[in-house]
Amino acid sequence: MTSTSGNDADAAGLDGPAASAVPAVELIGIGKRFGAVVANADVDLVLRRGTVHAVMGENGAGKSTLMSMLFGLLEPDSGEIRIDGRPVRFAGPLDAIAAGLGMVHQHFRLFDTMTVAENVVYGAEPRRPGFFGRGVVDRAAAAARVRELSERYGLESDPDAVVGSLSAGARQRVEILKALHRDARILILDEPTAVLTPNEVTSLFAVIRRAAEGGATVVLVTHKIHEVLSVSDEVTVLRDGRVTGRFATAEATAASLVHAMTGRAIDEVRNPRTGTPGATVLEVSGLTVGDSGAGSGSGSRTSPGGGGVAAVSDVSFEVRAGEIVGIAGVSGNGQHELVAAVLGTLPARSGRVRILGDDVAGRSVRDRRALGLAVIPEDRRGEGSAVTMSVAENVTLGHHRTPPIGSASGVGRGWMSIRAERARARELIRDYDVRTSGELQPIGALSGGNAQKVVIARELSHRAPLVIAEQPTQGVDVGAIESIHGRLLEHRADGGALLLVSHEISELLALADRILVMYAGRIVAEFPADEATTARIGAAMAGAAEAASEPDPEDPES
Amino acid sequence: MTSTTTPPATGPEAPAPGRPGARLVRAALRHPAVVPVGAVVLALLIGAVIILAAGLDPVTAYAAVISGALEPGSLDYTFSVWGFIIGMALAAAIPLRMGEFNLGGNGQLVLGGLTAAVIAGNLPLPGPIVIPLAVLGAAVVSGAFGAISAPLATRFGIPIIISTLLLSPIAVAVVSYLVRFPLGEAGAAVAQTPRLPQDARMWALGDLSYSNVGLLIILALLVVFWLVDSRSAVGFELRVVGANRRFGAYGGVRVGRLALGAMAAAGAAAGVVGAVMVMSSPFRLIDGALISPGYTFAGLAAALLAGGRPALIPVTAILFTVLQVGGAAMERSADVPRQLSDVLQGVVIVVLALRTVLDQRRTERSSA
Ligand SMILES: Nc1ncnc2c1ncn2[C@@H]1O[C@H](COP(=O)(O)OP(=O)(O)OP(=O)(O)O)[C@@H](O)[C@H]1O
Ligand SMILES: [Mg+2]
Repeated sequence: MTSTSGNDADAAGLDGPAASAVPAVELIGIGKRFGAVVANADVDLVLRRGTVHAVMGENGAGKSTLMSMLFGLLEPDSGEIRIDGRPVRFAGPLDAIAAGLGMVHQHFRLFDTMTVAENVVYGAEPRRPGFFGRGVVDRAAAAARVRELSERYGLESDPDAVVGSLSAGARQRVEILKALHRDARILILDEPTAVLTPNEVTSLFAVIRRAAEGGATVVLVTHKIHEVLSVSDEVTVLRDGRVTGRFATAEATAASLVHAMTGRAIDEVRNPRTGTPGATVLEVSGLTVGDSGAGSGSGSRTSPGGGGVAAVSDVSFEVRAGEIVGIAGVSGNGQHELVAAVLGTLPARSGRVRILGDDVAGRSVRDRRALGLAVIPEDRRGEGSAVTMSVAENVTLGHHRTPPIGSASGVGRGWMSIRAERARARELIRDYDVRTSGELQPIGALSGGNAQKVVIARELSHRAPLVIAEQPTQGVDVGAIESIHGRLLEHRADGGALLLVSHEISELLALADRILVMYAGRIVAEFPADEATTARIGAAMAGAAEAASEPDPEDPES
Repeated sequence: MTSTTTPPATGPEAPAPGRPGARLVRAALRHPAVVPVGAVVLALLIGAVIILAAGLDPVTAYAAVISGALEPGSLDYTFSVWGFIIGMALAAAIPLRMGEFNLGGNGQLVLGGLTAAVIAGNLPLPGPIVIPLAVLGAAVVSGAFGAISAPLATRFGIPIIISTLLLSPIAVAVVSYLVRFPLGEAGAAVAQTPRLPQDARMWALGDLSYSNVGLLIILALLVVFWLVDSRSAVGFELRVVGANRRFGAYGGVRVGRLALGAMAAAGAAAGVVGAVMVMSSPFRLIDGALISPGYTFAGLAAALLAGGRPALIPVTAILFTVLQVGGAAMERSADVPRQLSDVLQGVVIVVLALRTVLDQRRTERSSA
């Protein structure tokens, strides 16, 4: 290592208070383009040691790109990165890890079929001692390491659990453990809370604060203003790839952050609660869904009752035309299986589902959709899109057999018009303000929030009488949240029925006419809108077994 | 980790870090054509090493391959082989489009050949009726045989790659038995069916002796696949399922039915190849003669190399055709055994299969 100046050399040798004069990380004049898209332009970012620094911005503002450059995944076109005052140039993430960085990505990068311990040590495995042992991973040591780290940082985690069976929150903890295992002093968290429930967010923030107090430097990318206000020390706001605001959190207000992000004020839309619901559109009675294995468990917060429990048991409710029914619950309590059983991707063990009066038992997904069902799924990359296919192809699935793209009858039956496909895609991109270089760009190259808009555009453009939306606003920015909420309310106003599954109590309070709470596969509470409060829903979500005493992370305005 | 002593850059106009050459190379390496082309180059290099190890000259050997395949006198034959390889590439590519591997080409091929031999040899009908009938019959029988693998996968969870691989030798053995005993030509020294009557032989193309209308039929199948793949709802669904099976299922694609159709179409394509081969010179089904040239394997390699994309299949098929046809010439003039071309195909398949596995790992990792 060489240093640029005498001052830096002095400081670099020291640790402790004197060293904190030199920031842990400095990004100076960073620029990055993808073809014609300017993802970052002249970005300066300073991260001081022992602080939590929030990075905010709209979808496609360039947050992930900036973090990827800091972590060595992308190479900046211009500018300089300094760690502890020394300029560095990373050829790849391994260099960044060696320099003490750790990153938790917006999309998890875990092996679903391997255990927590295997995932944590992957790439830096403890080896057995001795000449012959060196090629062999020491599983016991790996598990012990996971336990030790979990304890030290208060990250609850079972080293032997298979990652595929964990909830989003538990996977998130595995990602963080992975970074901590490699002794990261600088932690990059890219939208870690997008898939977390309020309680998981609270415990994540406790971990973050503990790490910062221990001298680590944390960068937190997020869209949620209340999170920024509650956990960070400093904030940098990006818009269209440029820095538009720098704040000490103590001096920032929600309005000033929103203004820096969007250049305008955002009006929160709310359900007007006018009109009376019409006929029943979705009727679920006595529905029980078996354990689907991977993806259904709730990980280390094991559902009471242990193994062999049905993911959904004896659930009954209905959704009527012109009504929004919300489902609250900690993830992994059967909400996803409930949706999958209505859609038909998971078989029901018993019970009945009727869509517009038709019993759909034994019907295919296609038939159910044809009856008038559209679904915005929770797992955008795994289920809601094909990352290697273009935006146009991604908005076409489900519309490819009907006009204007396909044709339901006549000679054109079964054929598609590529021209109509592209024209329709361009129209939706415009209507939903998807930031993309064109309809032929692979959806995997879009920023997370923009990909989410594509999925929503595809499903809402069915104009189906029944829409099921799971976490519809995960990862989208404040402006887009309001526009998506606006569209969901429009659907209601047009007489559509909406089943809204969300972790965000504030979202449910703003949109739903009725809120059901799921816990351990059952509906344990139901609140009409005027009786629902954050505290009551939170208590019901925690179930009878867990104390309802956890602090409420939802209160600050957002 | 590397660190440098360059002065801090101050603005977006500052010189870009990293040598542009190195970055260009890195970007070029990510191009999707790199792996397939690399596989071919690697195969040729390994072949060269093997030839060298045998004490022979790789340059003369490869020159012999190319001149052997492309000299004017053998073009007629080369084109017919190209057609067969394209046909077998279709049998692999159609399921490959939805992420399934059809390794049962041999069984589908011989069943088609047998069906054509039975129909063409026993129905005393005029050519314009019996020839299409034989080709169609072969497509139906082989298609049905190929389609068995789909319900095995959807109902019983047996992967298509396994069931096709296991069912194929059974079909080959049954056909071999039938050719030897009940259907074989009495008194012949070789296990073969009787020669087809004049009327039941595939129409010739001018005075060419190997390439015939069968080649055009196979090329027509390729065009149909290309149209279906790029323009039809079914083709779109195939590609969606190939890109992300869960996305397809969620979007309402009936994956089981799609697999049934894809496997039936794949089997039918192989069956047509079998029929054309039987109805070409020497106009009979000889035990083992349909599989011994290795068109199934070459077709699979061509399909993999093309990534299942119909527009690329004719191109990748040229490569394996040249290897196949030129291999014999190489044996004659450069003394290199023709099995070398099998080795080269094998290397290409291994490299591309490796890529598929790595890709799968990567997508598995990026689940949320
Ligand atoms: N690999 C890529 N190829 C082409 N364009 C890209 C690529 N990665 C990002 N972009 C573009 O760069 C811009 C910035 O994307 P980035 O992912 O950094 O946004 P973001 O701020 O993280 O947004 P979000 O909040 O939605 O995750 C977007 O316009 C995006 O489409
Ligand atoms: Mg992002």
